[in-house]
Amino acid sequence: MNSPDALDAAVDRTPTDWNAPDMQARIRRRYASERRFKYVGLSAVAASAAFLAFLLIVMIGNGIGGFTQTRIALPVDFETAPISVDPDLLRSGSGEAALANADFQGLVEYAATAAYGPGANQYFSDGAWVLVRRQIAANPDLLLGKTVFDLPAASDIDIANKSEGSAEAERAVKLLDSRHALSKSLNVAFLTGGDATDPALAGIWGALKGSLLTMLVTLVLAFPVGVLASLYLEEYAARNRLTDIIEVSINNLAAVPSIIFGLLALAVFINLFGMPTSSPLVGGVTLALMTMPVIVIAGRNAIKSVPPSIRDAALGVGASRVQVVFHHVLPLALPGILTGTIIGMARALGETAPLLLIGMRAFIADPPGGITDPSTVLPMQIFLWSDEVDKGFVEKTSAAIIVLLVVLLSMNAFAVYLRNRFEKRW
Amino acid sequence: MNKTLALIAVSAIALAGCNDKAGSSGASRDYISAVGSSTVYPFATTAAEEFVRANAGMKTPKIESTGTGGGMERFCQGVGAAYPDIEDASRRMKKSEFDKCVANGVKDIVEIQVGIDGIAVAQSVDGTKLSLTPQDLYKALAANVDGKPNTAKTWKDVNPSLPAIGISVYGPPSTSGTYDAFKELILLKGCEADPKMKAMKESDKDGFEKSCTDLRSAPYYVEQGENDNLMIGKLAKNPNSVGLFGYSYLEENQDKVRGIPLNGIAPEYAAIASGEYPGARPLYIYIKKAHVGVIPGIKEYVAEFLKGAGEGGYLKAKGLILSPADVAAKANATAAAMTTLDGADLK
Repeated sequence: MNSPDALDAAVDRTPTDWNAPDMQARIRRRYASERRFKYVGLSAVAASAAFLAFLLIVMIGNGIGGFTQTRIALPVDFETAPISVDPDLLRSGSGEAALANADFQGLVEYAATAAYGPGANQYFSDGAWVLVRRQIAANPDLLLGKTVFDLPAASDIDIANKSEGSAEAERAVKLLDSRHALSKSLNVAFLTGGDATDPALAGIWGALKGSLLTMLVTLVLAFPVGVLASLYLEEYAARNRLTDIIEVSINNLAAVPSIIFGLLALAVFINLFGMPTSSPLVGGVTLALMTMPVIVIAGRNAIKSVPPSIRDAALGVGASRVQVVFHHVLPLALPGILTGTIIGMARALGETAPLLLIGMRAFIADPPGGITDPSTVLPMQIFLWSDEVDKGFVEKTSAAIIVLLVVLLSMNAFAVYLRNRFEKRW
Repeated sequence: MNKTLALIAVSAIALAGCNDKAGSSGASRDYISAVGSSTVYPFATTAAEEFVRANAGMKTPKIESTGTGGGMERFCQGVGAAYPDIEDASRRMKKSEFDKCVANGVKDIVEIQVGIDGIAVAQSVDGTKLSLTPQDLYKALAANVDGKPNTAKTWKDVNPSLPAIGISVYGPPSTSGTYDAFKELILLKGCEADPKMKAMKESDKDGFEKSCTDLRSAPYYVEQGENDNLMIGKLAKNPNSVGLFGYSYLEENQDKVRGIPLNGIAPEYAAIASGEYPGARPLYIYIKKAHVGVIPGIKEYVAEFLKGAGEGGYLKAKGLILSPADVAAKANATAAAMTTLDGADLK
């Protein structure tokens, strides 16, 4: 009864009718669901791109002005000015005291009033007289005649000149503009100076240098320890309960909130070991603790992805375990390890919470000379400036964020470069 | 196999250890280190800059903004280059803090009042105009009023003459000196106006303080961080909220926020300096006398600070309210002689 004929009869052998209405409907549904999925995915990408673009546009829009500075020309006639410093004294090199005693604040006030009317010294930044003093110290011959100093404007004039300011400041800008006294130039002080209470003189270099020194300490500590730990765990450690515990601990360490590392650093490095507070040394050690587990995890994955056949071949031609590791495994795993390291470092660069506790929330005007000098870091400087009373700091805060983003971007670009440069494919 | 791991750990610690010795060798510091209040911070940093400009060759002091309480903790840890020289405080040192200092060997402390700060109670310029009293603020914000949980939802529930606007106050965190001053100058005053609480003050002082200063939580009292600019931004967005912060921020942001009068007196310069405005508090710096002469420049820095805080000084432009003449004279005398605090009259 199970004859082939009977089977044939049981199975409907008519070819699929693609034009039948319900078949067409099924096909439409399939295509529609494909399209829906594609669009959902696309809109997810578009949303994240839009967030990023929004952030960048807002930051650049707010911060680009922070890289320029409005300057006002201030003509000074030393023949009549109420200041008497002997240029010969300055040239002989013993003029520091003479300069310190001279009333440069009064000089700027006098010259500003003479040039632009009473109250005009308000147009200049609070620290403008320091620049006059510095220029005279550098070139005492200025004292002999008429000189025009190009001095930074006060922050309300600066804002009024760049965008919309208060009515009073706008009037001042109009007056100065009619005298052709205003100019806008690259704010060199911002890129080369340390923190200051006057936005016209405040610079990012102190914090940037602090960040670089901190990152250096972090790298020197976390990279060798992280790489050695991951090599040991992958290549040497026996698979037993202890290694499992170590593995779980390292994964947990990577997930510990960063503020905990700050508390640890305060208790151990500062209070117990007596390391200097606010220094890149303490900051670097703290961030190294935080970065090390990230490097271990990335390193282990990179080492795992080196094909076992390479190890076997090396062992087969008589290489020792150390030779296998250093001649073959490590070079092949290096791109992955380096990418992981740079991602960990980038995270450390943007970290503020643990550094709050080790004294980096501080006013530090002199850029650090070494890893034990007091210093602050970029994200902390941004935080400090965002809390400043003077409105001129709004722009500086965004400008500092741009600097931080540029540093982060170049670090990530370096990671991509390293990966492409050293990556091997099988 | 674990030897290698142990070796790595040991060598890491050893490395940290040897760096440490390099860092604190000589046990001295060539710059001044100050810690403390975020309210004093802008004045302390300005004075630090002027100090460097006036004293060629000196390094800029390091000014940390930790809050008064956190700063006291660090200041009182001991004498030596590892500990700060100066504490910036937005309230007087407490007796408990003084005792801790003494216990840790910080026996000679010089107290100098540098000026006055007003706690501004403020709202957005777009909000409905309010005029409050300390009692209103106490009744609106205390967790328990008359022994019962506080049920007031709008300012009208607190005081029928006020508009029916929901109570929402942004204030400083409990570690900040601004918070302590708010408690002492406004909440306790408002609390005392209630006769029942006044009786309690006589019999049970601790209970009185606790029930007066125990605050409600969000949405009535919302703690903000130490960042006062953030608070001003929030007030501008929520016109019906009220904010508590330092007077200098109010002065700098007149276009966004306006001061709310307390007892009919607006937070203005003259009213705060004369002591008429209820929400004013003195600002202090504390100096470790043992560090004077060891860390270079402390005396000069304090002199520069007082010069800036004096009549015609540059700190007035930064929002500091100058001390009355007699207080200023006393501060100058204390700074010149470095007279130490005996701690007997601290609370």
